[in-house]
Amino acid sequence: MHASFHPQASFDPDYNPMIRKLESIFTLTDDERRALETLPMQLAVLRDHQDIVREGDRPSRSCLILGGFTATYKITAGGKRQIVAFGIPGDIPDLQSLHLKVLDVSIGTLTQCRLGFITHDDLRDLCTRFPRIAAAFWRETLIEGAIFREWVINIGRREAYSRMAHVLCEFLVRLRAVGLVEGHACDLPITQVEFADALGITPVHINRVFQQMRADGLIELKGERLNIPDWDRLKHVGEFDSTYLHLEIDQAVA
Amino acid sequence: MSFTLQPIRVATGFDEEGMLVLDEEQRLLAVLTHISDENEVAPGQWYLEAGFGRLDGINQPTFADLDAAQAWIGQRLASGQ
Repeated sequence: MHASFHPQASFDPDYNPMIRKLESIFTLTDDERRALETLPMQLAVLRDHQDIVREGDRPSRSCLILGGFTATYKITAGGKRQIVAFGIPGDIPDLQSLHLKVLDVSIGTLTQCRLGFITHDDLRDLCTRFPRIAAAFWRETLIEGAIFREWVINIGRREAYSRMAHVLCEFLVRLRAVGLVEGHACDLPITQVEFADALGITPVHINRVFQQMRADGLIELKGERLNIPDWDRLKHVGEFDSTYLHLEIDQAVA
Repeated sequence: MSFTLQPIRVATGFDEEGMLVLDEEQRLLAVLTHISDENEVAPGQWYLEAGFGRLDGINQPTFADLDAAQAWIGQRLASGQ
């Protein structure tokens, strides 16, 4: 069953993270905005730690994250998982499947997620009618590539302490772009085991790093809420330069 | 290959004791750390802090107790993996 955005009562119609994200790149015309607002979307709520799509799938639709967090991952023959990306609201983590028939990654929820599934036919139609939106999607996948490159240097060359600082900086800046940061605080519903799988560090060592960062006053964690008391210091420790995220200047958390 | 354990304190930054794992020629095979209770991921477990040669690798396992750690080390050394 298809539902457009507005009739969904449980969802704030004024907050469409995809529109918010596109508007950070360029000002939408009325026609573009209307097309996005009325884009047919099958809404679904998935529990935490469920697969949305799996490696080898041949999807006929892509999923927009409306709320919650996802992990894009691959698994070795020996069963070891590597998380290669975190998905946040506004992302379409399997947008690649619009052009690449077979998925080469799996995507699962980290938290309960509100998802909007958009058929490839509708996405193609949107892109044909609105070339600027097509260009914005293309740009999105280029930035995704830039993030992967940054993760390679982070995992391959930075020490665990800097590595964690870097990924936290990235997380905060990306969340800020879709309006999910207050001051320098945000939700951080990612477990230590998941950070271990994302950063190529053992969970035991991740825990030591977290304890050290807390002791050093770099982070404050209350349940799943992260606060960064000294943003400049965390950026310095993580060698974080947000250029690769290609955000508008006013979002790049000075 | 047989091996012996020798208690050692490990400077992990936490209050943690450990064991040097040595082969019969006193070559260092591994360092095991008894994880502090403050570490909520694996409190009280034994952790392969460092391994050399056949015990080297990026997936450093944790063990419920020292016996389990020794069994794993014995297997790895015997299998030559």
